[in-house]
Amino acid sequence: MTKLSSNNKNSSKKLGTGSVFDKNRTGPRFKTTGYRHFLLVGCSFLFLLIFSGCQSLPGVHIQKLKNKHYRLVVNGSPYIVKGVCYNPIAIGSNHEYDWWSDKAKPWITDGKLMKEMGINTIRLYQAHEDSGEVKQVIRDLYNLYGIRTLLGSWLGFWEYPCPFYGDAKFQNKVKKEVLEMVNLYKDEPGILGWILGNENNYSCLGLVNPWSNEEIDKEPDPQKQKAMRAKIYYSFVNDLSQEIHKVDALHPVGLGNGELVGLEFANQYCQDVDFVACIIYRGKTFGNLFKSLKMTFNKPVLLAEFGADSYDAYLKREDQDMQAFFLQSQWNQIYLNLANNKIGEGNCIGGTVFEWTDEWWKHNSDNPEFWSVHDTQNGWSNGSYYFDIRAAANKNMDEEWFGLVALSPELENGLNKRIPRKAYYVIREFWKHPVLIKTRGKKI
Amino acid sequence: MKKLLVMLLALAFFAPAMAAEATSPAAASPKEFVVYLDKNAKENHYIPSGWMGDYGDIKMNDQFVENPHGGTASIQFVYSAKKLQNQGWAGVYWQNPSNNWGNKKGGFDLTGMTKLTFWARGAKGGEVIQKVMVGGIKGTYPDSVMVEMGPIELTDTWKQYTINLVGKDLSYVNGGFGWTTTADLNPEGAAFYIDDIKFEVDTQLKPEGVKQQAMPFYIYADRSSTANHFIPSGWMGDYGDIKYDGASKEDAYLGDTCIKIIYNGKAAQGARWAGIFWQNPANNWGGVDAGLDLSKASKLTFWARGEKGGERIEEFKVGGIMGEFSDSDSATIGPVILNKEWTQYTIDLKGKDMSYIIGGFAWSTNVDNNPEGATFYLDEIKFE
Repeated sequence: MTKLSSNNKNSSKKLGTGSVFDKNRTGPRFKTTGYRHFLLVGCSFLFLLIFSGCQSLPGVHIQKLKNKHYRLVVNGSPYIVKGVCYNPIAIGSNHEYDWWSDKAKPWITDGKLMKEMGINTIRLYQAHEDSGEVKQVIRDLYNLYGIRTLLGSWLGFWEYPCPFYGDAKFQNKVKKEVLEMVNLYKDEPGILGWILGNENNYSCLGLVNPWSNEEIDKEPDPQKQKAMRAKIYYSFVNDLSQEIHKVDALHPVGLGNGELVGLEFANQYCQDVDFVACIIYRGKTFGNLFKSLKMTFNKPVLLAEFGADSYDAYLKREDQDMQAFFLQSQWNQIYLNLANNKIGEGNCIGGTVFEWTDEWWKHNSDNPEFWSVHDTQNGWSNGSYYFDIRAAANKNMDEEWFGLVALSPELENGLNKRIPRKAYYVIREFWKHPVLIKTRGKKI
Repeated sequence: MKKLLVMLLALAFFAPAMAAEATSPAAASPKEFVVYLDKNAKENHYIPSGWMGDYGDIKMNDQFVENPHGGTASIQFVYSAKKLQNQGWAGVYWQNPSNNWGNKKGGFDLTGMTKLTFWARGAKGGEVIQKVMVGGIKGTYPDSVMVEMGPIELTDTWKQYTINLVGKDLSYVNGGFGWTTTADLNPEGAAFYIDDIKFEVDTQLKPEGVKQQAMPFYIYADRSSTANHFIPSGWMGDYGDIKYDGASKEDAYLGDTCIKIIYNGKAAQGARWAGIFWQNPANNWGGVDAGLDLSKASKLTFWARGEKGGERIEEFKVGGIMGEFSDSDSATIGPVILNKEWTQYTIDLKGKDMSYIIGGFAWSTNVDNNPEGATFYLDEIKFE
């Protein structure tokens, strides 16, 4: 009895240190500890088996926690999307530049820099036509750097003359393309999920690429017209999401959406998407976005496009401090609203900041003369980025200067040399040691 | 030589103290710091030199000896509301030095002061000062603070008013005190008196948090209503296409007046659209920390009608101004096709964060949907 007791004590101590599978243990010793000991070890083994099974649960999914927060889980582990929108257009080229087949493989150089920064995800707006090249990019980034890919589809948004979402033929064509994409890449280990559309919802308001059909044209009330378009569009995306889930149960589907515009309709017609991928430019904070989303369309949110440019349009000079200030504040807000943070709404799963490199082609995109010039005229106005709002006509946002990494005309290994901006280092440090600051408050 | 050395030493000792007194008189009189007592009083630090808006509508008598609050005289202001400079409003800043609109260094470091007090009365009672303020002058040397209070409806007897400055940055104050009022608030003009303006230290005073406004909270009730809030100052797009009349008597929905807006659709600035934001304070595009807490509001309602019926307004909006101090949320309805008869519209605010609002209300329309322009009316705009 005394001996048994002694053995038990010993055994408990070992369990406490987690060394149940100590290789020095022997079979006979097991036998001598008795039935209770056997049960204890057996249960522990079973627990570990189940636990390790959970850990290696394959695929990517959204988990709703008991506190109603959302988190993204990848192969059984929580995953914060620390991402970047990726479209590495070389100086002297425009959007037609085929970087996927560039022999210099820009993603290899960029992936290394991204990994050093802490980026774990890239967002691609649309896959290239050559699926072999797409797979190569996804595999290289994942195998070399552990970087996963969120793959998107424009859903025909830029098709001439407009995206006819009210037309069955158009819908079927887009659906075929989307399902082809999913079938082609769903088995790539580097795939994180799918994003359907970008700011396509604005077309329902008639603000961009307006579309209609006979039934809508007959309706005299413009508010009802808007609602009819929204119903058609969000129902279509919902249908796509259902179809994707049938062929790929291992990756979540996101609804790309400009701001929160139209999500009251998504709440009615688009419940089968797994998350919302919002495009938001609100300066240093996202305002009431997280709470407002909860009230209108209670889905987890990925900040799929946000950021700040690094050109002060008022003082007419590069200002890396300004960009770093906004980006740090934005990431702070993202972290405040991740799952299990007491202060935030707990419905954010991360973000993909716009964007990795500058794009020199955007001003006068049809004139090659301008593709080699880092222009400062491609401005739009946004008062939230208030440092340079006093610029002429308040046009303070410069599309060619959003990169975390600047491009140099100087070539290095066949690519424009990458020069990380201050924001690169500031966000790198933030991700390493996220010190969260409440809005208008103290550090937490 | 010895005397010279002693003098130099003495100078070296006293000079910094004298300089400090010159730049920081507040430190020399820590309990209070006078803005203005009586004309030529040696305690005065500011001069009522900054006349604004319809300055031709203002008459000032700074030696009005009848019934002063303190000393020998008070300042009498007579505002005629004639709109001689076509502004519809007027006001006066007390500045240091005089006429300093931030173009030269002046002002005082008033750190440590916690409130400004002044005494005021109307000639008859019922006169309305739109707002009084401390700081807010911009320019090369901007004030470090801007605090406003108002509107104030005066009585015919002296009454003391206090502007809470606890927690405010008073390190540079050139605009020591100011007032403004409008012709809408005083259609027949107004005569009023101000006396004994000073900064004071009050250790018992607590910081003034942003208080939740009670409902209903009006943006527009009537032309002269003191219940009105926000200023229709944010003219957008083709602002040259807009005519605004805040005192139209053409079949108001309620009360004497309503708002009449004429949009001619000529695209004067080439934008092909136009609109107006009601802001707090005027012209605040998010650069001034002055949001109102309207958390108790669950909706904004207003009445509208078109002159002919069929006028299309693209958007009616609450909030959404983005700047350093952005609105905490936004809500919209539209497009709205107006009826010829008064119709009530509602912007639902349930679930919205209305804790910080500088853009109380807005409308916008465009030439594409109103090729002949549009004339329309608004009334009873309020948060509920």
